Amino acid sequence: MPSLKSGLAVARLAAALVALARAGPLAGQSHDRDALVIVTGQQATMPIPTFMEGPANLTANADVADQLFLRLAEPPPDAMTTDERRFVPVLAKSWTRRDSLTLAFDLDPRARWHDGHPVTARDVVFTFERARNSEIAPKLAGLLRHVAAVTAEGDRRVVFRFDRVYAEQFYDATFNVSPIPSHLVPAGATVANPPKDFVANPVGDGPYRWVRSVPGQFIELAANPDFLLGAPRIKRLFFRTAAETDARINLLLSGEADAIDNISTPVANVERVAAIPDLRIVPLASPLLGYLLFNQRDRTDRSKPHPILSDPNVRRAIALAIDRYPIVRSVFGQYGEVPYGPASQALWIRHGAPKAAGADTAQARRLLVKSGWFDRDGDGIVERDGRPLELTLSFPLTSEVRKQIASQVQEQLRRIGIRIDLARLEGQVWIDRRTRGDFDIDFSSATQDPTPSGLTQSWSCHGGSNVAGYCDPVVDSLLDRAIAMRSGSGPLWQEILRRIEASQPAVFVYAPSFVYAVNRRFTKVVLRPESSWLLVREWSTR
Amino acid sequence: MASGTGVVHPVTRWLLRRAAQAGVTLVVVTVLLFFLMRLAPGDPLGQLGDERQYTQAQLAVLRHLYHTDQPLLRQLASWAMALLHGDLGSSFSEHRPVTALIAERLPATLQLGGTVLLVNFTLGLWLGAVQAVRRGGWIDRWLTTLSLAGFAMPSFWLGLMLAWLVGVKWRLLPPGGIANPLLGPDTPWWILATDRLAHLILPAATLVIVSIAITMRYQRRAMLEVLPLPYIVAARAKGLPESVVRRHHAWRNALFPVLTLVGLWLPILVTGSVFVEAVFAWPGLGSLAAEAIGRRDYPLLMGTGMLVSAMVIGGGLLTDVAYALLDPRVRWA
Repeated sequence: MPSLKSGLAVARLAAALVALARAGPLAGQSHDRDALVIVTGQQATMPIPTFMEGPANLTANADVADQLFLRLAEPPPDAMTTDERRFVPVLAKSWTRRDSLTLAFDLDPRARWHDGHPVTARDVVFTFERARNSEIAPKLAGLLRHVAAVTAEGDRRVVFRFDRVYAEQFYDATFNVSPIPSHLVPAGATVANPPKDFVANPVGDGPYRWVRSVPGQFIELAANPDFLLGAPRIKRLFFRTAAETDARINLLLSGEADAIDNISTPVANVERVAAIPDLRIVPLASPLLGYLLFNQRDRTDRSKPHPILSDPNVRRAIALAIDRYPIVRSVFGQYGEVPYGPASQALWIRHGAPKAAGADTAQARRLLVKSGWFDRDGDGIVERDGRPLELTLSFPLTSEVRKQIASQVQEQLRRIGIRIDLARLEGQVWIDRRTRGDFDIDFSSATQDPTPSGLTQSWSCHGGSNVAGYCDPVVDSLLDRAIAMRSGSGPLWQEILRRIEASQPAVFVYAPSFVYAVNRRFTKVVLRPESSWLLVREWSTR
Repeated sequence: MASGTGVVHPVTRWLLRRAAQAGVTLVVVTVLLFFLMRLAPGDPLGQLGDERQYTQAQLAVLRHLYHTDQPLLRQLASWAMALLHGDLGSSFSEHRPVTALIAERLPATLQLGGTVLLVNFTLGLWLGAVQAVRRGGWIDRWLTTLSLAGFAMPSFWLGLMLAWLVGVKWRLLPPGGIANPLLGPDTPWWILATDRLAHLILPAATLVIVSIAITMRYQRRAMLEVLPLPYIVAARAKGLPESVVRRHHAWRNALFPVLTLVGLWLPILVTGSVFVEAVFAWPGLGSLAAEAIGRRDYPLLMGTGMLVSAMVIGGGLLTDVAYALLDPRVRWA
């Protein structure tokens, strides 16, 4: 049997190991002032335009793809999607509008793929042919449904033809997909059957080129010295993966990472990071929108109206009973807003919209009474025809934010006599029930497109994501008109928000900022709502 | 082994029968896993959270691309045929062969699990023996209290505390990851090795702290059973020094029942470290399996599920064999 002496020897060995660990890599060899380590929640697995479909439709893929591949042009700083004069040239050095249905882009002649081949109009046409093919890229094909044709005129000019006049033609042509090299990607390759060599070593034309991916750990990119807008000053760029929020924050606080993707709530996490002098907090308008979606169809028989929530008075009463401002403050601190209508902070149409209304429980009670809901038996819950007003609020168990808010909502609605049962569901079970319309109130959290035309998905009668059966033909008509307007559509979009607020298909609870943190040794730090790390190419170090 | 007369030795026969039982169990578990996974709600090709969800037509295209639109039995047959050729399919979410993904994550799991197993058993056996020898003394009481306190701590919480205290507040060790990404392949080997070791200490310590109590309790009890036995008394009577009696006579014999724990620990190498892998961003098989469940990544779930099943079944088999080999009182039945 080992003696106590040998035990002490083991303890001494452990201490020596810790000392060695500190003295070695942590003491200098591992630091590189020209490197930026961003810690994120997911690792990119397919950061290649036209392949980011289905399971590959991840922000992590888009973030890395934005470093590897260039768009023809980028949206202006305020993310306005309808004014093509304000877009920023990138792969296209200029463009001309030939008529209301035709746009011509001239590619920058300096553009080269990372393997040295020039970027040509053929590459752009090739990419858009793939993107418009619903058998290859079903989601992209849907987004580009109004692009009728993409043709090359010589090596440097690409012409887009649209099938209708609308304000976001330019946005559609430039934002949704970046060109990929036609000489390296087989035309028919799909996300399910990708080109293995290209996926292992993607070749782009962006500010950074691919170095390596270490699965489960990180992706390393290196500055492209031949980048057409000038070589980035940050020479090495890492996207380091840590799925757990605390693990991400610990990596940042310990100096193992220089920047962090959105610091998840609770807001105490932000306070922990803000307390470190070396780190700068960077709030950013986010495309996230949280709302309580009322099912307007019966959850078991979709042909019938919902027995309770099809009544606009009940929906309105619920909305008036929920005091959203203190809820948002308690969860997001200064980094959240109460939205007016379905408009996240990143959506430009929210500018000029009215302030969201506060709670009015007296009016909420009056509305319930007006619809025949009274507390006849004195149990605190209102009834009608002998049936208590009970509803289920569903949300995914992984969402701490929604859990916190749902408890507050439950308590606030109890005060006006509505009993809310909380159904905290496993993520896939939740999405399955939501998609089938099997819910009373769904606590949704949507990442909105930068374009307001995305509102048609959830808030038009036949929108692909309209799982609640909400239908207001006036809203549909307004949406059609706003989307078709070439300019000055702002007031019309705000009218749409007003109309949706008035018919109360949901209670729009929160529109948070994303809160990033970046080490102060980096300067010229600019983050973008539609693509957080897009402008790392312009960052510098002290 | 077969004897010269063609009669199979009972031990060999027993081993073959246990191996066959294990094989059948594995097949049954795999088929069950295949069907249960697909019966669970959720679609691996849909998505959470985007305003623009896939339409049914778009989902149909994706299901066709990934062959999830085929009848279940046909999917099972295709999967089984591929398996016969050593192909576990391609992960939906990682877009690479499942065998490659498992092979990539296995070293990290073995590194963490192996270290934990090694430290757990060397330290646990020694401390358990110390407790038995000093039964009722202050060392015994303190070690019992401390080890049970560790056992009672949730590994997730303990990991968070260690990562914060040692990694963030004191900055003694890295609080997460398996290696520093800034160290490229051209870095000297000793720096890479030290870096790996530095990253290993906290997750391994967390798992050892929460698990060592079991080994210590087993070993303490085994020693207490051995110490009063007549052959120990006889050894003392022969005048052997007490340290020799304890080390060569008592401790060695008390090891056998505890060593069978190794078989039971094998599956825990994968499944038991899921939370700790998450807290320390450790890229092991546990986190890979957890991600596969969340994403309903059928091929990856099947691959990791089969591996865990094989380890559970193999661990049980190993335990039986170890018992039989180490304890002559066990009869080959």
